Amino acid sequence: MKDVIKYSLHDYIRSHKYFPPISTFFVLILVFYTYKPNPIVDSYAITALFLFVISAWLCLSVLSLDSPVQRQLMILHLGSSYRYYSAKLLTVMLIAVLLTVFAFLYPIIFNMFPDSVSLAVGFISFVNHLLLAALGICVASFFSKVMMESAINAYGGLVLTIILSIAALGIENVLPASFKYTVWLLPPATITQRPLIQWEEESLSSISYLPFLWIVIYTVIILLLFLIMANRRR
Amino acid sequence: MNQLAELKNINKKYGKKKVLHDVSLTIKEKQVIAILGENGSGKSTFLRIAAGIERPDSGQVLYAPKNLRTGYVPERFPKYLRFTPDEYLHYIGKINGISEIILKQRIPLLLRRFQLDKWSNRRINELSKGNIQKVGIIQAILQQPELLILDEPLSGLDLSAQQELLSIISELKEQKTTILLTYHESSMFEGIVDQTYYIKDGCLAEEMITEKQDMKLIEIKGLIDIDVEEWKEILYSEKREDKLLLYVSSDDSNQILTRVLTAGGSIESVNSTDFNN
Repeated sequence: MKDVIKYSLHDYIRSHKYFPPISTFFVLILVFYTYKPNPIVDSYAITALFLFVISAWLCLSVLSLDSPVQRQLMILHLGSSYRYYSAKLLTVMLIAVLLTVFAFLYPIIFNMFPDSVSLAVGFISFVNHLLLAALGICVASFFSKVMMESAINAYGGLVLTIILSIAALGIENVLPASFKYTVWLLPPATITQRPLIQWEEESLSSISYLPFLWIVIYTVIILLLFLIMANRRR
Repeated sequence: MNQLAELKNINKKYGKKKVLHDVSLTIKEKQVIAILGENGSGKSTFLRIAAGIERPDSGQVLYAPKNLRTGYVPERFPKYLRFTPDEYLHYIGKINGISEIILKQRIPLLLRRFQLDKWSNRRINELSKGNIQKVGIIQAILQQPELLILDEPLSGLDLSAQQELLSIISELKEQKTTILLTYHESSMFEGIVDQTYYIKDGCLAEEMITEKQDMKLIEIKGLIDIDVEEWKEILYSEKREDKLLLYVSSDDSNQILTRVLTAGGSIESVNSTDFNN
């Protein structure tokens, strides 16, 4: 799997397909911090949401690198489609980790915050970035070329899903009581926003971990579904 | 000979089109098997299923050793690879679990044999069709496969590369590799093929002419394929413009000629032939 990751990263760099999503992320972060004030937890909550969208975009472009025949050959050489797709998604996650580090360090290094970042806030914000990146990657995998041949369906479907998942809180408020539970089907991209904003930043024990746990559960479920469905599409 | 793989009752449909219908095949060690058939007859689908990279709708593919080392040469190897042959083959080798020491010996050797060494530093997407096909062949034999599957491997290759491929296949056969291949433009493989099968209408039939049987190609006019479809001596018929080409065993040719004339057809030519041509 390590060699598939190396191959994919090398190929991705040569393809220059990384440029649009990564440059967009940099621009978003730079522009976002030009406006002040920048409360620490709220700002990190927003940049994590940016990363959710950008990770989804990165996932689509990484999964489109290999042509169908190349994909078949790689799976044959690797001996498992599960390992192939896991390696591809890990490749995207590696890039997302680098973007997380950038999103985390940029405001600290350039003194964008009014206060210093405590260990508790730093840890929770960093983890929130990673979780939303993983969620974005797994959601996008369903709209990749592996699952959808039409680029319009893929991008259109993904954009709609992302919009719905970001607007989930608002959708929940307008839905009749009996339909409110349907929001749970949407990717929980904004589920950590409310506890983060309400968090008093005193200690790690004063924040609700359930929303974070739900992101983990949701991500694992759709990751497994993607791996099973991609294997069946051979 | 021990059994290497078995395909049992394979069915495959694309949309409404049935490509393979209840196809079964037993592949034995050290065998060279040719699968022939017209364009679109399902040869490539059959090979992909045998390689395990495509799933049949129903049926089973069983390999005697569970982790069978399979090499597969696709009909159209990807053109837009952003790696040099050397880089690409190194990655493929490493993904396959081949050690760096072996790769450093084997890749230059294979590149030299296929005269790709002078292109080894150019990216694959800048190479000619034939050279891309050579990379496709090398990636399949890099790991010394137990089962090598080649889909139209000669397509785009120059004569020297064709000869080299033939000699490599012969070497692999000596080293107990089982080979499953398809071709239609050449009889180059005739000497090494042990068994030939023909795919027609989604069904796999054992070809009866592999034992170097003398063949006649009879070109006739005045009859159509429906007129001759009941004639069991005809191994294969093909319509070409206003003619009908009949492939028959030499032993049956006189009988067929008589039947053509009796049925009101005319004989255009009779030639000894190689069915694979």
